[in-house]
Amino acid sequence: MLSHTWLAVALVTLLLSPLQSEPLTVSAATSLTDALEEITRAYGAAGGGIVRLNFGGSNTLARQIVNGAPADVFISADEAQMAVVEKAGLLRPGSRVDVVRNQLVVMAAPDRVDLVRERFLQAPAEIRRVAIGDPVAVPAGVYARQYLERRGIWTVYEPRIVPAANVRAALVAVESGGADAAIVYVTDAAIARRAVVAFTVPIQETPPIVYPAAILAATRNLTEATRFVTFLRSPGASAVFARHKFLVPSGK
Amino acid sequence: MIALDFNLEQGGFKLQLREELVGRVSVLFGPSGSGKTTTLDAVAGLRTPSRGTIALNGRCLFDSRATVDLPPHQRHVGYVPQDVALFPHMNVRRNVLYGRRRGQKLSLDGVASMLEIDALLDRAVTGLSGGEKQRVALARALMSAPDVLLLDEPLAAVDVELRSRILPYLERVRDELGVPIIYVTHDRDEARRFADHVIVLANGAAVRSGPPRDVL
Amino acid sequence: MDLSQITIFTIATALAATALMLPPGLLLAWLLARRRFRGRVLLETLVSMPLVLPPVATGLLLLLLFSPRGPIGGVLTTLGIDVVFTWRAVVLAMTVMGLPLFVRTVRAGFEQVDRRYEAMAATLGAPPLRVFFSITLPLALPALVAGAVLGFARAIGEFGATIMIAGSIPGVTRTLPVAIYSFAETGRDGDALLLVAISAGIAFTALWLSNYLSARAGLRA
Repeated sequence: MLSHTWLAVALVTLLLSPLQSEPLTVSAATSLTDALEEITRAYGAAGGGIVRLNFGGSNTLARQIVNGAPADVFISADEAQMAVVEKAGLLRPGSRVDVVRNQLVVMAAPDRVDLVRERFLQAPAEIRRVAIGDPVAVPAGVYARQYLERRGIWTVYEPRIVPAANVRAALVAVESGGADAAIVYVTDAAIARRAVVAFTVPIQETPPIVYPAAILAATRNLTEATRFVTFLRSPGASAVFARHKFLVPSGK
Repeated sequence: MIALDFNLEQGGFKLQLREELVGRVSVLFGPSGSGKTTTLDAVAGLRTPSRGTIALNGRCLFDSRATVDLPPHQRHVGYVPQDVALFPHMNVRRNVLYGRRRGQKLSLDGVASMLEIDALLDRAVTGLSGGEKQRVALARALMSAPDVLLLDEPLAAVDVELRSRILPYLERVRDELGVPIIYVTHDRDEARRFADHVIVLANGAAVRSGPPRDVL
Repeated sequence: MDLSQITIFTIATALAATALMLPPGLLLAWLLARRRFRGRVLLETLVSMPLVLPPVATGLLLLLLFSPRGPIGGVLTTLGIDVVFTWRAVVLAMTVMGLPLFVRTVRAGFEQVDRRYEAMAATLGAPPLRVFFSITLPLALPALVAGAVLGFARAIGEFGATIMIAGSIPGVTRTLPVAIYSFAETGRDGDALLLVAISAGIAFTALWLSNYLSARAGLRA
């Protein structure tokens, strides 16, 4: 029922204007890979144009854009990287929207999960190393740090932090025994092989983990870009995101 | 006719030559280090004199004051160096034909039979004896129809018995082809037998010059 | 199946990049081996830069030059040619990163060619270009083959600059290394390992071929 509704809504949206032939280049954070691939397939099936998804770390994507890479839409894993592009004057004003939100989880290898679930917030000596994304560059790492700071345990954990280049590396660390716990997104839990979720971090204990999307000022394809961003917030797209464990913002 | 009038300074070595070579065979005679090979290199364009002129049959090859310095490939000299330097990646035939220009009168068969290398034409260069290599190098130089032939101690690396067999070929070249030859050697007998004109070099200068019976 | 598409795409672009390396590579190798000129050391340094800089830094430089706002990219865009985020960026990154290795290897090969042979060829009437193609190049053939294979191998494995200037666009610019990285990041471990095995197979074949061709070229010379 829901799928029929969103198909109808999408069709109506799309058929309102003629199709563009040039593919749209969308630079998107890697953590959105599976969800976005499904959504763009649906977009195409519903009559939208070809979308070229360029995945990467949000910091890398922002750097590319600032140095002249010709993307049409940018979907970042945090506001900080979007702000980088905005400060360079490369965003189309007024085009910025929140697409989805995420949530942090603390994960551990199966033999450590009880310890982590019960004692993580006390920072016991048995939790010798904690893997997070690099708190300087990787959005997931920035949020992990902010969470630990809010709980007042950043200072005690700081010497035990293992900064990873990306979420995958953080999970590998905890699965191989190199770290006792990892703080990653709930959406990353699915790609973990052995590690399991010890506990989910309540939303109010971190700043809002928002994935903003915006159209770039230099786009040669404004109509298509607008149509795509609108599609991202359609009920159908929201359903896909939800299935991949993202949180859909309630207000638009 | 070859007119040499130049100075060449390189490192600590100085060569000064002022000679006109008119005979069929001019020999540069002297010990090693006296400047014989350097002179050949200068005529061929492989080394550049510091100043002076070099002319071949009236054609100016080098003139420091007029800033003329013809590159080697425009000088029409045939050079057979002491180390022979046959191209290792080509067989005998391709080596000999390398310098052949369109429309010249010399035929491969003629040169090959004169130097008796017919049977060697399809052989690889690496398997040849010292004497065979010399004759092939000679053929290669001749096939480029040079205006002068430069031979650097062609018999030095060849054993005594073989020398007496190669010298006739050189004499044949001299007699049948009419190409002037500048011949470098430190062997008195070779010079006496072969030369029309001898220049004795020592320490980079000509100490004596004239017909062989006067000079040697 | 996208794994075969990734493999074929990577091999095709790497071959194109290797071919593209040849003209400038041969010229640079010859200049550095045979000629003295002012600015020679500067040229040597410039050619070696991609070897020494982090690949991502080289990628950033290429991005600045070839993006639609950049000096070279701007001209190309007016001609209707897009580079960044297309297969052309992949070939470009591969060529730039493989060229220094090619030049080094071939230069060493040229330096080993006895200059007496070149001198003889000149006295026999061969102008410099003929000397190069008939004497220098054939005698340096083993080094040429080794250099080309090295350049090809570098191109196949190129990642840092590629991901900067070509991005990671499935079906369009995903080479083997980029795909391995992306798959590993998103949990497609099985596919990632399969691609690793394919990469290893290509590298093995390339090296074996290089040894075989070098030996044959060496025997002929």
